Amino acid sequence: MKEFRFKLILILAFIGLNLYLLYPTYQDYVNTEEIKQEISTISKKVKVNNPTISELDLNQQLSYKEDSIRVSNPSYKNASEKRVKLGLDLQGGMYLVLEVNTGKLLEKLVQQPDNTIKQILAEAEAIAKVTDEDLVSLVAQKLQEKQIRLSRYFGNVRESDNEIIAKLKAQEEDAVKRATEIIENRVNQYGVSEPNIQPQGARRIIVELPGISKEEEAKRLLQGRALLQFSLVKDPEFTVKIMNAIDQHLAQLTGGNDSTTAKQDTSKKLSEDEFRKQHPFFAVAIINPQSPVADAFVKEQNVALLKNYFARPDVQAMIPDNVQFVFSAKPTITETNEKVYRMYLVNKNPELTGEVIVDAQANIDPQTTSPIVSMQMNSEGGLEWARITGANVNKRIAVILDGVVYTAPNVMGKITGGRSQIEGSENLEEAKLLEIVLKAGALPAPIDIIEERTVGPSLGQDSIYQGVMSSVVSFVLVGLFMLFYYRTGGSVAGLSIFLTLLFIMGILAGFHATLTLPGIAGIILTIGMAVDANVIIYERMREELASGKTLKSAISAGFTNSYSAIIDSNITTFITGAILYQFGSGPVQGFALTLMIGIVITLFSAFVLSRVVLDIMVAKGMKINLG
Amino acid sequence: MRIFQNVNINFLAKRKIFYMVSSSLILLGIISFIIRGLEFGIDFQGGTEIGLSFQKPVDISEVRNQINSIGLGQVEVKTFGGSKGVLVRTELQVIPKNLFPKIESNIKSSINSILPNIEFMTIEKTENSVTFKFQNADTAKVISEKLLENGYQTTYTNDEQFGKNVVVRVGISDWIKENIKGKFSDNSFIVLKEEQVGPKIGEELKSDAAIAIILAIISIMIYMTFRFKFIFSIGAGLALFHDVLITLGLFSLLYGVLDYLNLEISINVVAAFLTLIGFSINDTVIVFDRIRENMKIHKTASIEFNINHAINQTLPRTVITSLTVWSVTVILFFLGGDVLRGFAFTLFIGIIVGTYSSIYVASAIIYDYSLKTKKIIEF
Repeated sequence: MKEFRFKLILILAFIGLNLYLLYPTYQDYVNTEEIKQEISTISKKVKVNNPTISELDLNQQLSYKEDSIRVSNPSYKNASEKRVKLGLDLQGGMYLVLEVNTGKLLEKLVQQPDNTIKQILAEAEAIAKVTDEDLVSLVAQKLQEKQIRLSRYFGNVRESDNEIIAKLKAQEEDAVKRATEIIENRVNQYGVSEPNIQPQGARRIIVELPGISKEEEAKRLLQGRALLQFSLVKDPEFTVKIMNAIDQHLAQLTGGNDSTTAKQDTSKKLSEDEFRKQHPFFAVAIINPQSPVADAFVKEQNVALLKNYFARPDVQAMIPDNVQFVFSAKPTITETNEKVYRMYLVNKNPELTGEVIVDAQANIDPQTTSPIVSMQMNSEGGLEWARITGANVNKRIAVILDGVVYTAPNVMGKITGGRSQIEGSENLEEAKLLEIVLKAGALPAPIDIIEERTVGPSLGQDSIYQGVMSSVVSFVLVGLFMLFYYRTGGSVAGLSIFLTLLFIMGILAGFHATLTLPGIAGIILTIGMAVDANVIIYERMREELASGKTLKSAISAGFTNSYSAIIDSNITTFITGAILYQFGSGPVQGFALTLMIGIVITLFSAFVLSRVVLDIMVAKGMKINLG
Repeated sequence: MRIFQNVNINFLAKRKIFYMVSSSLILLGIISFIIRGLEFGIDFQGGTEIGLSFQKPVDISEVRNQINSIGLGQVEVKTFGGSKGVLVRTELQVIPKNLFPKIESNIKSSINSILPNIEFMTIEKTENSVTFKFQNADTAKVISEKLLENGYQTTYTNDEQFGKNVVVRVGISDWIKENIKGKFSDNSFIVLKEEQVGPKIGEELKSDAAIAIILAIISIMIYMTFRFKFIFSIGAGLALFHDVLITLGLFSLLYGVLDYLNLEISINVVAAFLTLIGFSINDTVIVFDRIRENMKIHKTASIEFNINHAINQTLPRTVITSLTVWSVTVILFFLGGDVLRGFAFTLFIGIIVGTYSSIYVASAIIYDYSLKTKKIIEF
């Protein structure tokens, strides 16, 4: 037995690892059932309390509730992050391929437009519509064909064509980055769970929105023009007053102590629970009394709850019409590894909108070596900006893109000439992001939807059922046949195929891979490959037995002699998988990935797992019947 | 139990007959390509497609008649996963211009039936949407919600910049749904899927798929050259082209013949073709591996003996594996649902052809090559 100990431990450890990797998937399934029940009871309650509520309002409330339940318990979140993800074809949702229309951007960059360049742009756009060719290259090529230098329309006279092309390409790239940022920002605000946004190629962005029912709304959300605003942040006194009012109002509703006693108590003496009861608002929107600003800090899990509060008509009545609460776009990570958002109270009407911005640039200040973002406005905007900044010295102005705050710098003094510098970025990366945001309104490149797929949840359910059903039936039939045909050997094969399935699922979970319908097909085919490996080995053993070898040496020879055939055939299939992974798109890649993982696992199961089990059986003197 | 143990069939003797069989199958496929072509799915063709599931079984020809009379030209209507499912597809991306006013007036009358006598106006029209402006935000919200319940895709805006507007999508799928709803009011349906693919994606996918398949075959051939001999890789490569061509030919011959069998070339089918290549080469490699082994052991034996012997030795494995995997594809075909059926069919055919081609294309070509060049292949 000693000789097998190491291999045995290895195998058991691997089985353990895979069970560990798959546990969150099971846990998440249980959690989801629990949450579903909770939500359905809440839904009934809401309907009883408010029978006239419209379907949309109800769904919105429920989705807020579900969000807060999901983030409230870290173990829920943990499980759902680590489970085997299902593709849109299985769980339903919307898949969009967006393309940044860089033609509009180029049009905007042309200096002294005339008919020639307009015609060239139109021609280039027509070609770009059906091919994936780069628009800048197309335009450059067309200009060069006509022997026109690029500097006639872009850049300046001293620059060579190549320099201008490089610059334009950088602009184009920039536009795609901007579009991606805008889309990410909006999708995150829209509150889709587990959205997936990824760039594809030079100009495309893939957006996957699971469980979306309102397609049109989602599309508008993605395609609409970015709205960049500069809004005045309200004074701390004003803000705290409103917050106090909301807090007391909520405390009364939830049956906390009445406001007078709550006021008399100093909050320090209260236990956490009591504080939560008496100050339901401040318990989640934490303000620092020492700070000169009244920005509230809100933990990630409480953002949905607060938005829910603000959506209530009774709370809305306490907030003046001309102001609104807005959250920061990105959270800061605290020392305890929690994500915390800032909440600001700003004027609803912006002081200025982003169209006035001509350019923005992130840099390192040579004097202080801290990152700064400089921003240039057009002359009209510059005048306006001078008036605004002059009137609001020492106040803060929030930079808001599509409703979330990216930064809220303090106005140091009146800014004339339209050139401003924004300090306070933590690092250059953050400054770059701000640069992108500031340019969002300035150089819009419209986003076109070039592919759109929506899978209803019921089709997804059917597909899961059919996929799992075929897998189970295939496995049982194949297993029974192996058992019947190879007897003892067949039972070992059955075990090895079963563990192959377990390993594939475990590794998919470990890689955070997404299981799609073609992925399930890939798994079913892996069963085929696993069967083949076993058949080759057992047929070979039978041959070796027939040639007069002892059982032990026949088993050994069976493995050794089938080695080359199995390796060669699996490597060739692996090559197909790799190419498919490289050239395929989304769902097909899922198929290729499961196929590749499956092949590696098959080799492991056939040559390590089956072999150890058979060797141990031989060593223990058990009877092995190969049929 | 054992099958095909110690058989001794002279496979190579009958190869000329099977050359004829293979050539005529390929020829038949090519003729069918020329005459019938292939049916490409929405992935490759571009267009709009919706899948509906009715509550009760529905007469497909009735749906077809209804949809062909709504001004979209020739629209394809098929069953989709059983008698309750319908798949509608058109090459169009956007609603034809002449239909637009009619659709707009339909939406207007819907608005009027929700809240009679309210004032609103059309402020913007694009090729796939209409924007209405209302007097106040509440009205806009109610209208937007009700229209959504009625099956329109809407969104509303209420802010300083965009006003109190409701945007209603005007798309092919909306128009189809609206018309089916009107006709089959006693049999309601839910939307299973909705897809819209631009022509650019389709063209790219076509070339990507072709590149993927050809690259896969070439890479496999390179690997085979290293592991075996160059002529082996030629044999394997030809066998792969043979399998792909015959299966593709069957796709061309059989599409549209059976309602149940959806034989259009989709992304899943391309994946199936690549899997077919994988399986077929798997089979070929196993036979080749035995030929190589035999050539090493029986250095003096004739190549004919070595090849025949290898095929006979691997025959039990070939039959058992192919039958098991084949039965898995049968299960997939019947239980895997409509989406996987094309996939299963490809493999169903592919495994038969792939197993056969390992013997009568890949191995036979090596034999004919050595006969012709009178070269002795040695490992």
